[in-house]
Amino acid sequence: MISPRIFEVINIGLVILDPDLTVRHWNRWMELHSGIPEAGIVGKSLFDHYPGLNTTRFTKNCKSVLTFGNFCFFSQKLHRWLFPFKPVTSFSGMFDRMQQSCTMGPLRDDGNAIRQLFISVQDVTEVAAYERRLVELNTRDPLTGSFNRRFLDSRLPDECERHKRYGRPLSLLMWDIDHFKRVNDTHGHQCGDEVLKSVAAVVGSELRLTDMLIRYGGEEFCCLLPETRMDTAISVAERIRACVEAHSVKCGDEAIRITISVGVGELDSDSPYQEALIALADKALYEAKTSGRNRVVAQPHA
Amino acid sequence: MSRQPEPIFTANERDILQEVMNIGFGKASADLAEVIDIYVVLSVPEVALLDASELAGYIGGEIRDFERISVVEQSFMGRFQGVALLIFPSEAGRKLISILGQEDEQTALHSVALLERETLMEVGNILIGACVGKLAELLDDQIAYSPPRVLVEDDPRETVTRDMFNPDSTAIVMRTLFSFENENISGYLFLITRNESIAWMVSALHSFMERYE
Repeated sequence: MISPRIFEVINIGLVILDPDLTVRHWNRWMELHSGIPEAGIVGKSLFDHYPGLNTTRFTKNCKSVLTFGNFCFFSQKLHRWLFPFKPVTSFSGMFDRMQQSCTMGPLRDDGNAIRQLFISVQDVTEVAAYERRLVELNTRDPLTGSFNRRFLDSRLPDECERHKRYGRPLSLLMWDIDHFKRVNDTHGHQCGDEVLKSVAAVVGSELRLTDMLIRYGGEEFCCLLPETRMDTAISVAERIRACVEAHSVKCGDEAIRITISVGVGELDSDSPYQEALIALADKALYEAKTSGRNRVVAQPHA
Repeated sequence: MSRQPEPIFTANERDILQEVMNIGFGKASADLAEVIDIYVVLSVPEVALLDASELAGYIGGEIRDFERISVVEQSFMGRFQGVALLIFPSEAGRKLISILGQEDEQTALHSVALLERETLMEVGNILIGACVGKLAELLDDQIAYSPPRVLVEDDPRETVTRDMFNPDSTAIVMRTLFSFENENISGYLFLITRNESIAWMVSALHSFMERYE
């Protein structure tokens, strides 16, 4: 019989498991990507080599396939991968693991009884890379590389939701560049662009990994600070204000000094809505502007 | 193109199907509880024979009390073939997140919206697989499934008005109300059988009866 050789040449990983999740078959694709020869894994529990798969979610799906004969789909979006393999495509820079779309289904005997289950593994790294690129184009501001307004509008409801569900604090800094119109008028719009890029880079480098810098529009930005209470938010705000003040933007032969005004707001449990949070930070920013600029103002809840 | 002959599906056959569903869904819910720790109650199912043109109105009428809904849609293919629609109230995704375990690890990595959709998809996949699988088993068929899709709609009436079926076709619609015991979530499951499998269904129902006569 030649036809079973399809298992060894097909560009898909195929694993066959007994009901107790002992590996019965491990095709050549799996051998090549895992570095484990079939002889080294057949007869052993899948979890011996892949303890990470031993989760409630995975075993519930296995039981479901064995009981009902349905198919289970492990999407790349949620799981990213089932088997931790190195990426092999030219997109490997973006991912430290091969992105996989996996399907699990039943194998039946002639009497229609479910005897084993299979897992098929497809490499979808390339698709995932394109998707990530599209998401980036969609959520980033091309000039400054910070997130854009669209990102804020989709992320803020999520963060408010997290606050409502888990009571996690959330703060927002709303800030803008002082006298930005004067920069454009005096030095030209290209220089204005340099200022925007440079200030966004300075602020971005001062934020923590989980904070998000967003270009709200024009010279107005905001920083979304999850898991952050007012007092910490104020110190983050003070830090970015001081860093921008200490920094000078090179534009041609000139060095331009820039300052920013920052308004700070914390999400109020009595009114945990994005509009309310933006309004708080906005009001604080307005006060920072009217009380002399280059300063941080915090707006307590009403 | 010649029109498919009108399928003949008698009141007697409808009663048998009703009985097969009672048995199948009963086993499905028992196995879900015993094997997978998912506790779901499936109400006595109803069977209707409808023209495709009546489908949207029928389903829309059943779910009119829901304000916002999430729908898990999944096609199944065997001799028994069609579409399963699982209709949840829109907050169900959030409530179901814990049902498959590992809430903390999952929520840390993903946006809430994505996690809710994927949870609905996984729970829906299992629930549909259990019900369709048990029916197929009783009728001696094997089924392959396409990946489920999740639709979130503001207006339930919009969801099922799309042309999901050949307008000339007739469908056997099986409807059941389900509720997750511990989660206070209930919704509807519709299995909509394609025209093409009605002839098979009729003969499968008769062989099912023969085994008991």
